[in-house]
Amino acid sequence: MSTISTQLRSFKEPTKDQLTQLSFSIPSSLTDRADKDGLEKMEINAVLSLSAEAEEDSYAGKLHLFPPFLSFASLDRKSCRFTLPLCTIRRVERLNARAGIYALSLSLWHGMKIIVQLTSLRPTADLFCSMLRDALKAELQHGQMKAVRSFVKTCYSETLVASTGPLVDEELEEKTPLEGEEGSRGTDIPYHVGLGLKFKFPGDPKKLREASKVKLWTTYLKTHGRNLTLLRYPQCTRLVQVGLPNRLRGEMWEVLSGSLYLRFSYPGMYQQILKENEGRTSTSTEDIEKDLHRSLPEYSAYQSEEGISALRRVLQAYSFKNPELGYCQAMNILAAALLIYMSEEQAFWLLEVICDRLLPGYYSTSMHGTLLDQRVFESLVQKCLPIIHDHFQVVDVQLSVASLPWFLSLFINSMPMVFACRIIDCFFCMGPKVLFQVGLAILKINGEELLKIQDDGGFIQLMRSYFSSLGNSAHPHSADPRARAITRFQELLLVSFREFAIITDDTIYNERRKYRNDIIFSIESFSKRAAVRNLSTLERFTKEQAGLVYDALYRAMCIVPPPAPVAKPAPSLIGDGSEEKPETRIGLRTFRIFLSEIATWARDEKVIINGIQQRVERDVAEHEFIDRLFYFWDVSCKGALSFQDLVSGLDGVMFNDLMENIEWFFNLHDKNKDGFLTKDEVLQLSESLLFIFRFEVGDAYLGAVSRFMTNAFEYGDALLPQPEDKRESDDVPPSDIGHNQPYLNLATFRMVVLADEILESFFETDLSACFKLEPVPMMDLPSSHNGFLGDLISNIATDDNKKLFNRFTDRIGQTIGRHQVIHRPAIGKYTKLDEPKARESLLIPSMRQSPTSPSTSSLATTARAPSPSNASTSNLSAAETLVQPPDISPLNMVKNANEALMERPQFAIDDALDDDTDDELGGEDDGVMDEVDAFLEAHDSGLTEEQRELAKGKSFSDQ
Amino acid sequence: MAESGSGTADKSVQVKLVLLGEAAVGKSSIVLRFVSNEFQANKEPTIGAAFLTQKCRLEDRVLRYEIWDTAGQERFHSLAPMYYRNAQAAVVVYDVTKASSLEKAKSWVKELQRQANPNIVIALAGNKLDLVQPSASSSGATSTPESEDEADDATATPGEAAAAGDQPESLRQVPRDEAEAYAKEAGLLFFETSAKTGDGVVEIFTEIAKKIPIEHILASSRGTGRPGAAGRTGGAQEGGVNLEENAAKSKDACNC
Ligand SMILES: Nc1nc2c(ncn2[C@@H]2O[C@H](COP(=O)(O)OP(=O)(O)OP(=O)(O)O)[C@@H](O)[C@H]2O)c(=O)[nH]1
Ligand SMILES: [Mg+2]
Repeated sequence: MSTISTQLRSFKEPTKDQLTQLSFSIPSSLTDRADKDGLEKMEINAVLSLSAEAEEDSYAGKLHLFPPFLSFASLDRKSCRFTLPLCTIRRVERLNARAGIYALSLSLWHGMKIIVQLTSLRPTADLFCSMLRDALKAELQHGQMKAVRSFVKTCYSETLVASTGPLVDEELEEKTPLEGEEGSRGTDIPYHVGLGLKFKFPGDPKKLREASKVKLWTTYLKTHGRNLTLLRYPQCTRLVQVGLPNRLRGEMWEVLSGSLYLRFSYPGMYQQILKENEGRTSTSTEDIEKDLHRSLPEYSAYQSEEGISALRRVLQAYSFKNPELGYCQAMNILAAALLIYMSEEQAFWLLEVICDRLLPGYYSTSMHGTLLDQRVFESLVQKCLPIIHDHFQVVDVQLSVASLPWFLSLFINSMPMVFACRIIDCFFCMGPKVLFQVGLAILKINGEELLKIQDDGGFIQLMRSYFSSLGNSAHPHSADPRARAITRFQELLLVSFREFAIITDDTIYNERRKYRNDIIFSIESFSKRAAVRNLSTLERFTKEQAGLVYDALYRAMCIVPPPAPVAKPAPSLIGDGSEEKPETRIGLRTFRIFLSEIATWARDEKVIINGIQQRVERDVAEHEFIDRLFYFWDVSCKGALSFQDLVSGLDGVMFNDLMENIEWFFNLHDKNKDGFLTKDEVLQLSESLLFIFRFEVGDAYLGAVSRFMTNAFEYGDALLPQPEDKRESDDVPPSDIGHNQPYLNLATFRMVVLADEILESFFETDLSACFKLEPVPMMDLPSSHNGFLGDLISNIATDDNKKLFNRFTDRIGQTIGRHQVIHRPAIGKYTKLDEPKARESLLIPSMRQSPTSPSTSSLATTARAPSPSNASTSNLSAAETLVQPPDISPLNMVKNANEALMERPQFAIDDALDDDTDDELGGEDDGVMDEVDAFLEAHDSGLTEEQRELAKGKSFSDQ
Repeated sequence: MAESGSGTADKSVQVKLVLLGEAAVGKSSIVLRFVSNEFQANKEPTIGAAFLTQKCRLEDRVLRYEIWDTAGQERFHSLAPMYYRNAQAAVVVYDVTKASSLEKAKSWVKELQRQANPNIVIALAGNKLDLVQPSASSSGATSTPESEDEADDATATPGEAAAAGDQPESLRQVPRDEAEAYAKEAGLLFFETSAKTGDGVVEIFTEIAKKIPIEHILASSRGTGRPGAAGRTGGAQEGGVNLEENAAKSKDACNC
């Protein structure tokens, strides 16, 4: 009934390179493309200055070449930065080298010139230049240079800068000329616009000081580039913090978030996706349909078909492009807000950047990103606002009941639109940390009141009334009119960026890393409970046992993920009536792994002793028998098994008594279910037994199977129904009936089995006992005999290292003649070691009539399925023949091995992750958090100069 | 309002109630109807959960409902435990015009019975009843969509269409009997409601109030709460006159 996803497991921490790239908002799809062309990335120390009207200082920092981008960030990573598509660089000149100075002058599309002085060693600088040259050439070849001209026309900033060339101030103050202008232009507006142009922007333009903002931005964009070439100097951030002007907002969101680069690089893709998927329906499109009229319904555009259909197209296009995520409620609100300020195509790409990079995992089917960031937020509250956190603990208030929607819909449905937009401005400019900073500030400002609340409800109500008062004065009773003029919203931003400036991208990154595994674990155990609950029958299992089956299934799915669950029904099938719930089903390959987790004979386990260490290696067995079981359990004939199928299948064998087991085994081999085994099937059945017994010690089982075959054929022939046979040919002995004809019935089979003591006991207890739900212990044995090596092993963190180490010790073992490989038996009842015999000999050649019997070969060789130990096994195969020296009792070996085993850690993959990451950046978290504390203490004093300026800026613009 | 003077304020009991159900079945609308006696045609989807409170008077007791209205989309499911933890009551809502929503409701019930507070009182509510009722008093507002449906139905199921102009009934995908039988079997209170007209909405909350264990002691002193409920139901059946009906209730039982 439900889907099971192992997707969270495949999460990989981004590399340092990727993180840097992310910090410049460079889409990885674009750099991947250049990667394929062999263009390399490089970074170099540099000092940036603007050549012409260099009113700004120069900034020391790092210049990065990420073909097809060149980017720069000052050392503090925020004061000054740019991300330039290489195609906007018109000219690169080497400035005449004064003594020891190596500088490049770059002329950009919009006419500015920037000077970068490369301060690394000369050979490095030379290398950088030549790589830059190659990358520029490649861009030229791709024709990207030409694309710039037409693309910038789609940006409002071009029109703004052009039209305001000789701009007279009054013109803007009136705010009408712009509005009038667009009316007359009608549809020939070359630039992209949002619905707001027609349906009005939220808020009062006068109060928002739109005209002054536009003027300031016009000046800035003229001197510092715009759209594709925007250089971000401190003033840019300041201007964003006082609120973007409505008409420029959409474009600036694109530029600041980097979605502009996607729109530039994939022209026409949005329309193409819509066209290709026209008329297609899915669960996502259904969900979207439900919510279209429920997205900012009070905004007039969304009461009209124009607004609704724009929203529909954007959301659908996104879901078509990202079917795995599809559509999540809250995206409608987000998209509706974006569309007020930007065109569909712009909103589409921005939505992509938000879902993919800025709020990763927020809207995914498990919403793990949301849960993770809530956990991170909670931990930040604990560290920054411990008193509030403690109070919440005492009165059992859960932070996320209020804060979750803040993050999920970027405050849009928590506070009035004008304020939410200003937070979003900062969010795109400064990154996701803004959400945390604002969240913390909200709590801090309401600190006193929060300490009085007693329950979740009180918390929510307090927050609601705070948000509705954001437009009010923060200090209504102050004598100073300037202080009175500061609104509560301004106060909020001030506190956010002043008191919580210490919350950086790194803080968020590190905190996320810290809690990711917790979150994954809790999501997984939640979906496990749900999956168990949704079983239509538990059969005879307890809930816990079903949970263990689920665990085994889950582990198998981690190794071989099943084909994407039938989440989105095939697009061609527009079956509306018979809505089938998407359900995870595993194929044969995954099933083999699943079974190897549960049935002892479904895995090949080797205890390897090489004189230095002792370990267990486990491979997944492959045999027709296992495949047969797969199809036997596939009761609905779907070629794939669901969780329910597995539970019911296991139920069919795990609770059986002797007679039931015999019948079960018989039915398993009776392919056409006519109550008779054919001769071939008798042979197959014998092979199945041999497969199960393949690692048993001694000859007892082999003898039993051999006797079984003799008896089966003897009784079978004797009991052959004569009349049927007569027709065929009278004189041919009955044993020659076709291999595909009914031959042995259950009663005879039972008789033959019961005639043999060993088989009887196998069917009585061993068969069922071979199925064990408890997780199989890990493959490595802690090395007990040698302290020095024990330490060594514990220092070997990664799987790769372990493999290397294993191989290394094996080689030593082989040289010193102490290398042993012992197969662990599936049943292990007999411990006495008889003389090993060649097993093949048991099958008398004449009996092996079935011409196609690939399975027999697997008796001797170890089948290898994907397994972490692959590398070492192959290395060992030569040694396998030296197996089992007589002076060692393998069972004891195994027993010892078992005892030495530690409990298997729940998830091997988690551990690996942990190890990796700790290696890279170990211990930084604590440092950062100490800093937070220190910062908070130190900062009670007051504002820095810059912050005062900021405050001034705000009161000026917002009053 | 009134209860503060009646000296029963000290007896006010807080009841945490959670609403669950598939997206767009009308959970938020039911709450809005109960809390402010309003209906909004286009209600934004709930993100995470919304929180509202409403007092409900039952005989000499005052219950203060703390209502958690949750998001319905499947992927919000894993957030739900955050909201139903410690809940004493739950209203699981489905849409009578959408069969799949009852299935979802059943799985919520199952989850609540296994994961939530063991004494939780659960009510099952089939909402959007107005869409399937012969439009007697509420037909005025529903013009275009219904006439379209009539046209469709006429071709699809002539037999039913012939049945005394009862066409809207064919929008129904969940028969009352079926849902009621299920509710009985699972031990749930059962209602059919319309957040749009207000039918049955208040009843959910008053009936839950009666069943909440805290009330048990008081309730056991005298028969059942039936008389009050019967009066209200009578009012609701007349339909349409929501304001009056509500005024009556505030005297009688709810919406203090
Ligand atoms: N005709 C009719 N429409 C209703 C009724 N109740 C709700 N609706 C409509 O159904 C839509 C969804 O209602 P909501 O109350 O937002 O649904 P919800 O269950 O809260 O949805 P989520 O928050 O997404 O889980 C809205 O457009 C409502 O106007 C009803 O009783 N009758
Ligand atoms: Mg809702």
